[in-house]
Amino acid sequence: MRRSPAPSRLRLPLVLLRCIVPLLLSSPASPAAAPTPEALHFFESKVRPLLVERCYKCHSEDGDNEGDLTLDTRQGWQTGGRSGPAIIPGKPEESLLIGSLSHENRELKMPPKKKLAPAEVEILTQWVAMGAPDPREGSSPAKPTSVAPTTDAKHFWAFQAVSRPTIPPVRRPHWVQTPVDAFILSELEANALSPAPQADRRTLLRRLSYDLTGLPPTPEEQARFLSDPSPEAYRHLVERLLASPRYGEHWGRHWLDVARYSDSNGMDENTAYAQAYRYRDYVIDSFNHDKPFDQFVREQVAGDLLPLHTASRAKHEPLIATGFLVVGPKFLAEDDPVKLQMDIVDEQIDTIGRAFLGMTFGCARCHDHKIDPISTADYYALAGILKSTKTMETLTVVSRWNERPLGTEAEFSAWKKHSQKIKALEAKLKTAREAAVNALPEEHRKKSKAEQEKQFPPETLQTLRGLEASLKELTEAAPHLDFAMAVEEQEKPADVRIHYRGNHMTQGPVVPRRIPEVFKDTGEVPISPNQSGRLELARWLSSNRNPLTARVFVNRVWHWHFGKGIVRSPDYFGKLGEAPTHPKLLDWLADEFMRSGWSVKHLHRLILLSSTWQMSGQANPRALAEDPDNRLWSHIPKRRLEAESIRDSMLSLARRLDTCADAPPLPMKSHERVSTVGAPVHPKLYERPVRSVYLPVVRSDVYAPLSVFDFPDPTTGVGCRDTTLVPAQALFLMNHPMASENALATAQWLMELPKVNTEERLEHLFCAAFSRPPSRSELEATLAFLSTHEVRWKSQKPEAAQEAPLRAWQAVCRAVFSSNEFLFLN
Amino acid sequence: MNPSLLQTHRAHSEFPLSRRSLLQRAATGFGGLALAGLLAEESRAASLAPKLTHFAPRAKRVLFLFMHGGPSQVDTFDYKPLLDRDHGKPLPFAKPRVVSAPTGNLLRSPWRFAQHGQSGAWVSELFPNVARHVDELCIVRSMQCSNSRHGAAVLELCTGSDTFVRPSMGAWLGYGLGSENQNLPGFVTICPNPSLGGTTAYGSGFLPADYQGTPIGNSQTPAERARIPFIENADGLPPHLQRSELDFLQTLHQAQAAASGSNPTLEARIASFELAYRMQASVPDIQDLRRESEATRAAYGLNHPSTANFGRQCLMARRFLEAGVRFVQCSHSYKWDQHANLRRDHQKNALEVDQPIAALLADLKARGLLEDTLVLWGGEFGRTPTCQGKDNDGRDHNPHGFTMWLAGGGVKPGISYGTTDDYGYYAAENPVHFHDLHATILHLLGLDHKRLTYRHAGRDYRLTDVHGKVIQDILS
Repeated sequence: MRRSPAPSRLRLPLVLLRCIVPLLLSSPASPAAAPTPEALHFFESKVRPLLVERCYKCHSEDGDNEGDLTLDTRQGWQTGGRSGPAIIPGKPEESLLIGSLSHENRELKMPPKKKLAPAEVEILTQWVAMGAPDPREGSSPAKPTSVAPTTDAKHFWAFQAVSRPTIPPVRRPHWVQTPVDAFILSELEANALSPAPQADRRTLLRRLSYDLTGLPPTPEEQARFLSDPSPEAYRHLVERLLASPRYGEHWGRHWLDVARYSDSNGMDENTAYAQAYRYRDYVIDSFNHDKPFDQFVREQVAGDLLPLHTASRAKHEPLIATGFLVVGPKFLAEDDPVKLQMDIVDEQIDTIGRAFLGMTFGCARCHDHKIDPISTADYYALAGILKSTKTMETLTVVSRWNERPLGTEAEFSAWKKHSQKIKALEAKLKTAREAAVNALPEEHRKKSKAEQEKQFPPETLQTLRGLEASLKELTEAAPHLDFAMAVEEQEKPADVRIHYRGNHMTQGPVVPRRIPEVFKDTGEVPISPNQSGRLELARWLSSNRNPLTARVFVNRVWHWHFGKGIVRSPDYFGKLGEAPTHPKLLDWLADEFMRSGWSVKHLHRLILLSSTWQMSGQANPRALAEDPDNRLWSHIPKRRLEAESIRDSMLSLARRLDTCADAPPLPMKSHERVSTVGAPVHPKLYERPVRSVYLPVVRSDVYAPLSVFDFPDPTTGVGCRDTTLVPAQALFLMNHPMASENALATAQWLMELPKVNTEERLEHLFCAAFSRPPSRSELEATLAFLSTHEVRWKSQKPEAAQEAPLRAWQAVCRAVFSSNEFLFLN
Repeated sequence: MNPSLLQTHRAHSEFPLSRRSLLQRAATGFGGLALAGLLAEESRAASLAPKLTHFAPRAKRVLFLFMHGGPSQVDTFDYKPLLDRDHGKPLPFAKPRVVSAPTGNLLRSPWRFAQHGQSGAWVSELFPNVARHVDELCIVRSMQCSNSRHGAAVLELCTGSDTFVRPSMGAWLGYGLGSENQNLPGFVTICPNPSLGGTTAYGSGFLPADYQGTPIGNSQTPAERARIPFIENADGLPPHLQRSELDFLQTLHQAQAAASGSNPTLEARIASFELAYRMQASVPDIQDLRRESEATRAAYGLNHPSTANFGRQCLMARRFLEAGVRFVQCSHSYKWDQHANLRRDHQKNALEVDQPIAALLADLKARGLLEDTLVLWGGEFGRTPTCQGKDNDGRDHNPHGFTMWLAGGGVKPGISYGTTDDYGYYAAENPVHFHDLHATILHLLGLDHKRLTYRHAGRDYRLTDVHGKVIQDILS
């Protein structure tokens, strides 16, 4: 049968239906009305045999009852299965049963193995259009209903209110410098283990400097600290480092891991998030200024809805903070706008759950969480909040994310007015040029712009030049206005329906916007129908009654200081995650953190001033045997530097590190591609010798020198980086220009040091790299190497013989960069 | 078959090249020195050791010939006489709800089809050389995927998801099977495209980083100059000098060990530098195609400008497979996207790959490698039978029904599986989704796609997520 080629959701011969349906219907479609004899005949002769033959095997009381749907009674399709009613009488386009027949929806394709013939599809479609006349009586089993979290689930440790445990007594109270030590020591003592001795001062200095700033201690800092005999010297060092702007760069980067920060969308059409860096800088500033963490949380989730600050520095901060919700990965070339929107909502729910609560909500997109007490209804209650939030400006390919002006209403309207003027003038110029081209004889029309212009009459050319000049003038006179990636409320906030199996094509009942059921007793705020509910969500997330936010963050901070958390799955506090090694310590820290006004620097002091953190790496054999995973913290194991610290340290040793970071990381404008299709990101973008946190983070093409040392893929939040040891790291250190250029630059300043001998030169290098002078044997080995390498260089490269001493020193520096002592913290 | 047999690589004994013995020696050295240390502290590399499969595998390695952009099924392997007959008429049924762009009426294939081989499979004149091997192919004509855009469809093909970032199939195979050569990455992707999926298409997602694909160049690098990252010294330092520098580094390491006591991390690091140094010698050796006979080079098309580049990729791929790499991907990168200029560009694309692929199939067979190497050919989707673009000389993306073919390890040779409708738009009989393809690939390598799981953030993940069905009918 020849049918209309017009695209439609269903392959419905609508014209045909309009003809047949009125003939068969005695009244408007209604399931209650008694079917006419013609309609019954149609059912019995055409529909019933088809249902029996093609559907009953899986969908009947005697069959498999798949998806809890039966089609052998009228009530069966009226009640429907897990995906809701199968048929909406009179509305084939809205009926799941009809929708499933086309096999276009991969989640719902019926019959699954072999599609019905087009004629058969038409029979069922006609039948539904007729109002689905169905004489079959009988009942179908009741549908399962969503269950509220069980009491058992509610009693899981992570969902309990944070307590204030008493500080435990210990047998060696002199070891206790902060309450942290009492919790650690009491467990060690209970297991008859003792803590390692304190690390030496050089080790502590290097460890502390990297821990707080990601950089090695400067020679000045080394001299100052090592020559300060005061008992307060260490405390002062902690304060100096906490006050350094380098601190926020390092700790802000930790949070950027969790926030899956990136300067591009990745995935497909990789376009520039040219304004994302404002969020990055906001994070760095927040750490540097010890912004209360609860406020930090609120601003990232709902900064646009918070009362405005008056201080000029902070004026736009809350708006910029909502970039947190926007900087995630997105398929901007998605042909299905509904899928795109729900994928973005999903990404946001996943990120919020993981970052703040250590929960994975993603599972509940398709089904009730099998492990944790999060139901599909909980998920779609949150989805309603985020769908009522405007993250995208457009949803059609290539879609655009939301950006908001950083200025007053007046500034924005002036900017907008001016932009419209520019657009109008551009249009005018375009029209004028087209008219001029069209006036040319045919053979000139396809020529280049310059060639065409030679053919224009002088007065036309003059007009065009005039327009061009005014356009230039107008563009130059445009008022400056900055933009940030940020969200806002949708005009009409609304609840969403449950999407069965996560599919927007199979929707169930509407769920009101709210926080997950299991947290109901922790201060739920009712959501106004006129608002998205984001503000209420943000307030709940940052509330002292929230059982997870403080615990999860305190644990992250512990993890970043020690390399392992108190809960060793820092992004996941659910049932399959790790139980805390020191639950009381976790609670005490969380409580203390909240009492301090959510001060992150207070938390640092509690940890860094503790004896625990200052222990050496020397584990006694008994502790190693009885506690091989060091869960009790009897010593501080070595830790490898993070990727950024490796690069930044090389630059720092080479005296090339530029600590200013004024320029945005990408030269492109928002929405422009970060590279042409098929080309990698231009290496020039990574050449600035700024700290690594200020380099572009291009999703789906992360800078290889960082990713080789486990810089995380910025697609999901990561609170716990990998530490791999792969040969590519060795190849990188041996061969990459970054290693060799910085080694050369380091060698150069070493060679240029006035009035020093080789031994002193080496001492400078070792102190800069390892915070210690070389040993006698290292010195001898180096001297021997320098002389043989020079000889070898001269014989290999006689044309560059005069470079030999410098090249020998370059080789020494590269070996230092490649050495474990450089790459690890003791 | 005894699964423990898996632990020895048959090819090692069959191809006693000097390179191989070098690699083997190197592997022993590395394992002996450092594996204990790796297990203790940084345990990842140990996970690359060969592992037991769930059941006896039919294939040991995979070669994926990726035709990026979406080759047209109705112009290559899916012959549609009705399309020819009804050229210029409207498609007699509805187009999909979601399309990437509007298309017009039916467009007949500009290329003639003929039956080939014993199996009598129809192949268009675009692939005259591959057509000669049609009796080795298992042509699946009912492929489907879920997304009509390149980036998302590439990621679904390579990782199983067009929504989230997930580990790629090569990474899953490395995780499931381990590596047969500790000196080489288990997963190599030759000249991949850095965009439209980018590194995610060969990434390891939440699996340990060791399993990620190692890119050899990118789509803008001529295959001749494609190298493993960081394998060449930036300063052009002669090996002799680099060796002495490395010896000095190891002296520093020994001094550190003497000062702070030996530790496994340090031993592993020392070993990793030695391994890297050996890789510098062995990998370029594998990539050195001058070692192949002139006849082989000519067969792969290395002497002709249009076939040389992909020919090199294919020949390099064979050498990597022989050396024990588990998963090799060659990308004919983002060339097959003919929204316009179908005649010109599909012709050109096919010309570039046809002879090299045919030579590769013949070569694998002659070397006995085809029986346990699974070869997969195809794009991220197919194209519409309806026309598009200037002079109606183009076709749009079509994820609803298209062709991929498999050959070698464990698949029935000389068959076709599944059909599309009369015009080649939708998969009709026996649709095969990417998830089913993934399930089948894992099955052929001895892995049950439902049991190959990895726990991440409290959930056990699979390559096939909650989908996937092994296509039993194509297993030999």
